[in-house]
Amino acid sequence: MTMRIHGSFLSRSRGTFLSRSRVWAAAGVFALTGAFALAQGPMAKSDPNVSSDKDTRPYDKHNFSGLWARNPQTYKLPPCQECRDQALAPGYGFYGDVPPRTAEGEKKFNLNHPSRGYELNSKEAAAHPEVDIGMRRAIIPAKGNDPEGRCEPLGAMRLVTFSGGGATMQMVQEKDLIIQRFEWTWDNREIWIDGRQLPKVDDYLPRYNGYSVGKWEGDTLVVTTVGLDDRQWVDQFGYPISDKAVLEERYTRPSPNRLRVDMTLTDPVIYTRPWHASPKIWALIPKEAMSIGGWSGILEDRCIPSDEALFNTFRNHAGGVK
Amino acid sequence: MRRPASYTFTMRKLTKAFGLGAGFLLICASVWAHHGSAISYDTAHLWSTWATVTEFNYLNPHPSMTFDRTTKDGKVEHWVSELLTNPSALARAGWTKSRSVEALKPGTRVKLFIGTSRVGGFSGIVMKIENEKGENIVGERANATAVDMDGVPGGLQPKPGEKGE
Repeated sequence: MTMRIHGSFLSRSRGTFLSRSRVWAAAGVFALTGAFALAQGPMAKSDPNVSSDKDTRPYDKHNFSGLWARNPQTYKLPPCQECRDQALAPGYGFYGDVPPRTAEGEKKFNLNHPSRGYELNSKEAAAHPEVDIGMRRAIIPAKGNDPEGRCEPLGAMRLVTFSGGGATMQMVQEKDLIIQRFEWTWDNREIWIDGRQLPKVDDYLPRYNGYSVGKWEGDTLVVTTVGLDDRQWVDQFGYPISDKAVLEERYTRPSPNRLRVDMTLTDPVIYTRPWHASPKIWALIPKEAMSIGGWSGILEDRCIPSDEALFNTFRNHAGGVK
Repeated sequence: MRRPASYTFTMRKLTKAFGLGAGFLLICASVWAHHGSAISYDTAHLWSTWATVTEFNYLNPHPSMTFDRTTKDGKVEHWVSELLTNPSALARAGWTKSRSVEALKPGTRVKLFIGTSRVGGFSGIVMKIENEKGENIVGERANATAVDMDGVPGGLQPKPGEKGE
């Protein structure tokens, strides 16, 4: 955009009002206003519905395709309060009604040493006795054993509930299949909606992202997942699972710009009752808003073992571990 | 006052200049996106210090950096650190790899706002970086208050005689 100012216009008066400095100041204000609007992203200026939960335009409730994030401010879009975790402790997680563990579950639970949540034996941990101990036992990463610190796969639940830095994911929906792509760790999972039955997982290798089938119940896509590899954690607080775990996710698109999932984990080997997570909600992000250097889409945000190994030398130094 | 017969200026240049400034004022996003680093450092008491970058790695999960700082007694300390903000968030804030690597190339003098390691030693997490012009660089967090590292009580400082690595 260019602005042309003619000297004759400026020299009309004695220069008390239309002096050069005032013109530059006015242009600066105009530039600041324009730049601020542009900084909001092109969609924000031209489309008041973008990422808004007030959007009342018709849409297909059975189509989840798109780019989704739980922190749309990352993309200079209006905030989404309902996208924030109903957190019981610092950070993101499965949350909801954490069930008691079986004896077997408790043994496995105690083998996991997370680095998130309230710090073990801290004042903050003691001040929240109502929060499950799983979220009140964090230790420094150098002494913990979070598999994420070894670039091991996060697993289905942890991928879906991750909400750090925007929690960007993409849903690619075809007639028979939905591919869910996750930015952090550049992982993906497939949800088959072709009517197939779940496999007998004893015949297959367990998978970190399991085997998932979905079927519609009205406008709700009910996804059932089995065959989960039992090395994964439910979330960053180190809750374990067994290979008998069954995950149910109920996806809905309550408005054009919102995607919601309600998850239930049933694992009688580890937990005494089903575990209902807190709802997770994403905001739809226009492709143009999720763009770096003109390239739109989720980032290839991989966990690379050699990078992680270098980082861990710094991490260990911070933790006093040689 | 003489004025030219006509002159033209470019809104794009002004917009770009402001855009860089707006980048410095980005609200801090979720900072503990990966790896639970916070617990290893005292981020409640930040320190500031001038330092010279010796190495910078723009890598996941958090960029890492080594730097030297000189105490008021003229002693040079060798520090290791990780940066608060991970590469994907940096890139979205305009701090791409090439731009960040250039801004923190070895030999660059910067002012660092650090939370030091809770177990002591020359280790910290860098919450904010300013260049010699006072501009916020390679990060999202513009608002971080800190106390100058030398001669200030409280917080966690390296123990006397601690060797840097």
